[in-house]
Formats: sequence, C-alpha cells, structure tokens
Amino acid sequence: MVAGFCKTERIMKSLYIRKLHLWPRFHVYVSEELERHAPEVVDVRVPMTKHMMGIQKAIMEVMDACLKEMRKTNKVDVEDLTVENGLFKSFDEIVRKQLDPIWHTLGKKTKQLVSDLKTLRKLLDYLVRYDAVSYLKYLDTLRVSESFRSVWIFAESSYKIFDFAKRRVYRLARSNDVRLNGQEKSPSGRKRKVHNNDGNEEAADGASTSSANSRVILEEVMEEAPKWKVLREILKEIEEGSKKDASLIEDVAKRDKVDNGIVLVVCKDERSCMQLEDCITQGSQQVLQDEWRKYLLSKVELREFQTPQKKKSKTKEPKGFGILDGVVPVTNAQNAEASSTNKQEHDALLTAASDIRNLYTKDSVAGLEFHHLVSKESQKRRGKGIKEKGLANTLKSGTKDNSGDLVMEKSEETGICGSENKKQVDGMNRVAADIHTEDNSILVSAGKGFLLRHVRDPDSVQPGTAKQMPQVHFYALDSDRPILDILMPSVIIVYHPDMRFVREIEVYKSENPSLKLKVYFLFYEDSTEVQKFEASIRRENGAFESLIRQKSMMIIPVNQNGHCLGMNSFMELQASSSQNSITRKAGGRKEVEKEMQVIVDMREFMSSLPNVLHQKGMRIIPVTLEVGDYILSPLICVERKSIQDLFMSFTSGRLYHQVETMVRYYRIPVLLIEFSQDKSFSFQSASDIGDDVTPNSIISKLSLLALHFPRLRIIWSRSLHATAEIFASLKANQEEPDEAKAVRVGVPSEDGIVENDVRAENYNTSAVEFLRRLPGVTDSNYRAIMDGCNSLAELALLPVEKLAELMGGQKAARTLRDFLDAKYPTLL
Amino acid sequence: PTRQSSQSRNAILVSHRQKGNPVLKFIRNVRWAFADVICDYLLGQNACALYLSLRYHLLHPDYLYYRIREIQKNYKLRVVLCHVDVEDVVKPLLEVTKTALLHDCTLLCAWSLEECARYLETIKMYENKPADLIQGQMDTDYLSRLNHALTTVRHVNKTDVVTLGSTFGSLSNILDASMEDLARCPGIGERKVNRLYDTFHEPFKRVN
Repeated sequence: MVAGFCKTERIMKSLYIRKLHLWPRFHVYVSEELERHAPEVVDVRVPMTKHMMGIQKAIMEVMDACLKEMRKTNKVDVEDLTVENGLFKSFDEIVRKQLDPIWHTLGKKTKQLVSDLKTLRKLLDYLVRYDAVSYLKYLDTLRVSESFRSVWIFAESSYKIFDFAKRRVYRLARSNDVRLNGQEKSPSGRKRKVHNNDGNEEAADGASTSSANSRVILEEVMEEAPKWKVLREILKEIEEGSKKDASLIEDVAKRDKVDNGIVLVVCKDERSCMQLEDCITQGSQQVLQDEWRKYLLSKVELREFQTPQKKKSKTKEPKGFGILDGVVPVTNAQNAEASSTNKQEHDALLTAASDIRNLYTKDSVAGLEFHHLVSKESQKRRGKGIKEKGLANTLKSGTKDNSGDLVMEKSEETGICGSENKKQVDGMNRVAADIHTEDNSILVSAGKGFLLRHVRDPDSVQPGTAKQMPQVHFYALDSDRPILDILMPSVIIVYHPDMRFVREIEVYKSENPSLKLKVYFLFYEDSTEVQKFEASIRRENGAFESLIRQKSMMIIPVNQNGHCLGMNSFMELQASSSQNSITRKAGGRKEVEKEMQVIVDMREFMSSLPNVLHQKGMRIIPVTLEVGDYILSPLICVERKSIQDLFMSFTSGRLYHQVETMVRYYRIPVLLIEFSQDKSFSFQSASDIGDDVTPNSIISKLSLLALHFPRLRIIWSRSLHATAEIFASLKANQEEPDEAKAVRVGVPSEDGIVENDVRAENYNTSAVEFLRRLPGVTDSNYRAIMDGCNSLAELALLPVEKLAELMGGQKAARTLRDFLDAKYPTLL
Repeated sequence: PTRQSSQSRNAILVSHRQKGNPVLKFIRNVRWAFADVICDYLLGQNACALYLSLRYHLLHPDYLYYRIREIQKNYKLRVVLCHVDVEDVVKPLLEVTKTALLHDCTLLCAWSLEECARYLETIKMYENKPADLIQGQMDTDYLSRLNHALTTVRHVNKTDVVTLGSTFGSLSNILDASMEDLARCPGIGERKVNRLYDTFHEPFKRVN
C-alpha cells in the first residue's frame, strides 16, 4: 500500500471510500489493548556454529560484490540497493520494477546479476532453515546447474561458502593422523576408509609410489542445526512443566479447557515442518543420517553429470562398486591425478556412497523384518482404532503412516522396557479407547489435501499412567491458515520468526485473555535472521508512518458517495462510443457501413487484444484456429508475438513452423511483433549490438526468417492499441474473413472436423505445453493424446501399446515411453 | 555486367542515392560498393532493401510508395528498413506498415544506425544460410530435453530440474510424485509444488 505514488488515494477513489482508519501497532490504544494480556515471551538466542557464521559472512560478501557490480551498470536507482534490503523478497520487486521497462534491452550480465542476487538471498534463507546436508545438496545442485552462467559462483568468497558447507557435513583426513574423537560413539561417527590405490592390486599393478601410503578417510561431521537441540530442550522443559501441572489438576476436562497443553511449532514451510517432526521423533542424528545417505547416492550422480567429458568416468563403471565393495579401483592413469585433494575427496565420496549402498541393502533386509513387525502391529492397532473411533485415517499417506508408527514403537520401547510386542499390542487395544489423541492425526485439509498435521503424544500410549506429554503441532507459515483459532495452543514455539505471525499471536492472545500462553522465539544469534526480523518491524513502522503522512495530505472528492453503479456504467458506455467514432475517423474512413469482423483464436483470449479490438467496434468471432492467431481477411493471417514470446519461440523453433504453415495457407502471412506500452520500443540499445554478426542475436534470427520466408510480412506495433489501429486500416479494403473456412485451414485430419463449440473449454496450458515438448509428441498427435488420457500423471502410467494407439505409431510411442522411464543420469 | 556480378557476390551494392547516409559508416562486417542499382541496397541476387528514416517519411509521406513502385517485383525479398528515429511513432509507423504490407515488402525496424547496418550485413551474410538456427534444433540429449519439458512449468528453473531428477530418478516418477514428496525437495517451495502438481494432475482440458 505504501509503495507507489498516491496508491492509497487511488485505491480509495476507485472503491468510493472516503474514510481511512489507521491503527498502527504503536498507537496508544492498540498497544494498551494488546499489552494488557501480553503473553509470556521467552527469547532464545541460539548461537550459530562457526561454519554457519562463515557461510553467512561469505554470502554477505558475495552479495555486496554483486550489488556493487549492479551499481556499476547505472541502470538502477542505487538508493534502495543495500545488503539489508537484499534480504527481502521485495528487493526483487524493487529491482524488477526499475528494470522492467528496459528489461529486454539489458545485457546478459545485468540479468544474471539480478538472478544471482535472488539465488544468494535464497542461500541465506536456507542456511538457517535447512539442515547441513540438505544445504550442501542444494549448493551442489546449484553448482551443477548454474556453473557456466553465474557470476557469483566464481567470486572469491563463494569458494568459502562451498567449503564451509562441506565442512559442516564431512571432513577429509589422512589415515596417519586420524583423530579418535568423541564422535566415534555416535552413530554418525563411523569412518569410511578408502584404499586409494594399493588396496586393489589387480587394478593398479604398477602402483606408483607417490601416494602409496596415503589413505584418505572420510569423516562425517554431521553438524546438526543448533536450533534442533534447543527445540528439544524446550519441549522437554515444557513436558516437565506440564507434568507438574498435571499433578495439581486432576480433572482432565477442566485442564483441557484452560490449558490443553498443545504446543505449536511454527516454521516457515512445510518441508521444515516435516523435518523437525522427524527430528524430534527419530533424533536428529538419524535425520541427518537419512539425508546423508540420500545425498551420497545423488552425489554420485551429480559428479558424473558434472564431469561428463572427463575420461576417468569410464573407469568407474557402475557395476564396479557393487563387486568391489567400496574399494575404488585406481588405474595408473589416475595416479597422477590422485594426489590432488579434489580427486581424493571425490573418490572418498564415491566410496562412501557405494559403502552406504551396500550397507543399505543389507540393512534393509534386516530392517524390513523389523518394519514388517511394526507395520503389522500398527495395522492391527489401527484397524481396531478405526472400528472403535471411526477415524478416517485412510486419507493419510502411507509413508507418513509408517513413520508415525515407528515413532510410537520407539517410545513404547523406551517406556515399557522389556515388555514383549504381543503384550504391547494388547495393551494398545485396551487403551485405544480412552486415549483421545493417540495416533489421531488430525487432517487439516488445506484445499489440496496433502498438508498433514500430526498430533503426537507418544507418552500417552502407555497404559495406566497419567503422564501427559504435550501434543506437538507443526505449522507452516506458508500455508496461511488460522491455525491459532483452530488449535488454541498454550505454548507457541516460533522456530522461524516472522513478523506477521507475531501480530497474529498478539491478537489471538488478547482475544483469549484467559488462556495461558507462552511464546518462545528461536533466533540465531547475530544472524541475518535477526536482522531480517528487526528490519521487518522497522519497515512496518515506516509503512504506517508514511501512511499517516499520506492521509493528512490526501485529497478525496466530496461527491464520491454520489456514484452508483448504474451511473458509472452509463458513463463508460458513452465514453466508449465516443472513442469509437474518433478512431473510426482516424482510420481514414468516412462511414462504416458494415461491421468489421475478425476471427480470433480461442487461445488468444488470454491477451487483451481481442478486447481492444472489440472496443474499436470490430466483431470478434472466437474459434479454434490451427493456423495463425487472427484472421483479418481471406488473405491476411496474423501470428501475434509479444517480445518475450518472440525470443522464446525463436529458440524453440516454434515460430519457424508457425510461419511455415501460415505461408502455406495464406496469401499474406503476417508476423505481428507487439511491444508492450510500458516497455521501451526497441530490441536492444545500440551499445549492446556488438561488433560482429552473431547467430544468437535477434537481428540474425529475424533476418534469417525474412530470408527464408520472403512472403512473410512483419508488423511492428508499439502497443495493443496501435495493433488495433493497424488491423483496422489493413482491413479497410479487404473482404471479411470466412469463419468456416478459417477453422478448416491446416487441420490435419480429413475425416470429420469436429470443431463444434465444445472446443471453447480452457486448456491446462502448462500441461499442454509440457506435453508438446516431450519427445515423440508432435503437432499432429498431441491432440489425440489429450483426448486419450486425462493428465500428465496419467500419461506417465500408460503402457507402450496404449501410447502407440494414441500417438499413431510404435516408434513415437517407444520414444516417449523410453524418455519417461529413462533413469536420471547416475553411476549406480 | 560480368565484372559487376562477381563483385556483387560478396559485397553489398549501394545506390548512389545513399551517399552521405551515416548508416554506411557502420557496415563493417561486409564489403560494400556504390553501384548503379535502383534499390538502395542490393543484398544478393534475390534480396534488396530500401532505407527509410521515419523522420524523412513524416516530411515526404509518398516517398516510400514511389520507391517501392520503382524497384518493381524483381526480387524475392524486398525489405523496407525503417529507421525509427522519432519519438511519436504510432501514426507514421502505421502508414509505413500499411504501405509495405500491401505492396509486398518485408518491414524491418531498427532503432539506431548500428542496428540498421547490422540488418543489412546480416541479410547479406546469411544469404545462403540454412534455417537451422531458427528451427529449434534443440539439443537432443536427455538432460536438455528434460529441462526443456520441465521448465514449461512457471518458476521451475534448471536447478530444480536437477533436484527433481536426482530425487525421483525418472520423469515418470516425477510426474507421479505426491505433493509431499515434491515439497521435500530442497529449493522447491509451496508455490512451485502447487504449480508442478497442478500441471501433472489437472486434466489437459478443463471442461467448464
């Protein structure tokens, strides 16, 4: 509301509102009201680990460098370009707003800078949100996908980012100076040994001496997010607190009313919710282990993908790992390279990965039995539960189910030591009825039905004991639901601080003054997280202040109330008709005897050109066109391209084919290049043209198009309205187009052109586009595919035979099926 | 005539009318020479170009029409190279567009002398070039194709494609993934999850 000139004023005008009330947080009444029942707030500052600090610092440095670079381009107003602003999402908007009008004239580098800044902001954000392993994984994917384009990746400090991120997860050490540290006892402390060359005699017969003794060891560090630990501690504390409470208050019902013991953990997104949940239920090391395993497996793939041109990938045959049980065969050729730490690291990682894979297969055999037991048991239990309570648990996804059950299994084991499984089942059934919250996964369907909310209270599973562990809910800020009013939590742990949610809490508290509410804030000390939070409060205040200032100067017409809908539409009508008469004169014709007609393709209704044409007094005939977007006359067929479309469809080759068919069917095929009113009217600035004729320049592409289709006419239009005028003047001496004919043009099948009005439905455009880009799918068969199956997900499940039927050919079907099933490039 | 044809094979032939046109200064990648040609620039056996500054057009609105009439239909490609050198373009450009279109000329707009020159150079140089460049012969390897397809979903970038690929293993697995699985991928937020899921699961045709 604050951004932009007179924005509030304009909104009020167009809504016919005359009064504006502002209730800022710092207003006396407001703060009084809210603070009367202020919740108990505990501010927990969690220190970040050394490496996290390192990463943060490095990111800030790179960001600063990028900003400086950006200032140099002289294309943006530098005032708002500070690192602090860079932390906010709206920063992108600021930059985009400034650059948008000239966006397509910008050089590659500037564009890259803008996207780099976005990437960096994300990295900062993820630093505090993701665990160490996921973070590293994300960095790796970034490196793979961006390595050739990005500026920042080559910056000096960014090396540090990668380095620190790596060190949070693992460490390389020579075997001679292995430090036996305390990690040995934790499950993550396992060490994996790589016999770098002499371990495998067959492979390295002429073993070189240079690195004969050195064995590289991969130590897993697995730094857990500091907040995890704190969160566990807090939960424990709450649990103890509630135990004390519980002994005081006997009446369960009463307690439920006053203090239902619900703990709400608030995170930024769904992902961290799930992870935190796993983290609490399974222990953080376990979570990290899982991530680490997944990471290693994918790591192998990435590495392979990253260095496809290197010969060494040849020696690492996928099969080798399984056979050699984790020992990497090193040939002579590689020995030279082997001394480089990079190589060793690579090998170590690969070995670890294959190790894990082997282990995994073994584990899974053992684990399966256990799992079987558990799931059988839980099924029994659940079956009972459904009967007894009629819980609709069926909606829950299978994986969720299992993890939840595993948790219970665990807690039972810890709770009733030594008790046998059988007994537990019995006990479970017995207590199933009187425990309300047990395995009661509340399903708050968020319209999509995938956001599951788990209520977990493992301790209550124990029969007979009155011990009540607080229920823990996880809530993702992104999902935007009035969670507070639904759950009525008594403890809120704000895992990711967010200003908006703080305000929500305040309101919630003052609405329910009787409720005891304790709020924990988890901040990383000295982190950008804190900075961001504080800055957002400052911005809130700033926004209100400027609104107050604006209000004092606002000019609202007195007669605003007088407008009613009827009058308004009447005026519009007048305006449009007078506009029409003007444009008609401007079009150079004295009188329009007959209404002009334009045939427009259905898909064009996404743009507003048909609207504008209608305003100009033309009759719009909507149909589905196979060729062209607009048919102005029996001769003139127009393909309309916005600038962005133009660039894209040149690259995809789509434009070429569209023009090809237009040329085939119409006397005057026209390519309309439509600039947008608010952007500059040019492709690129003179300085960006460069000295040579380059194949990628738009000039080259257009020239080539003109050379290959000399009959193609090109219209350059400044704006939508200019287009409408051009259309009108082109039609002046032409016959009106024939609807029935236009529709038939270029339709592939001869038999039965079923072009009835049912075609008027919308398409799932991104799905259609997706489909058309799959190999084997062509312009002539994609319609049949869409008729034959409902969605892409459905398509993915169709067997070849069915596909062949739809696509009209074995070969195409095979191509598509192979592409769908192709394994994403990997070593394993 | 033989001498001229050998010369014209690698050079742009410029009409004497164009003497003093600053565009000539910027024709650097191709040789050019003055010659007796009816069109302004002879760019090949089948291609010629007329140069028109919009400012000039405002002063002499009929000039373009007569020039087009002059060069007749001897060339397959007749380009009207329009130098957009006025601020208020809509009306003059409309006139030029109409004239060019109705008299079988291809209109190319350029906003600077450099750009004008570049069009002339490029058309000359690409005279016999196949159209591969604009036919979208995209890389046919698996990853490019996967990228090409998945990036149709708005906001999905190449990093996400790598993430999705390495997480799910194959495209059919990606298409089949649940919202929850998608959400577990690092870097893929709520919005992208929804977009991806909708693209995969909403029917191609939405029946109203």
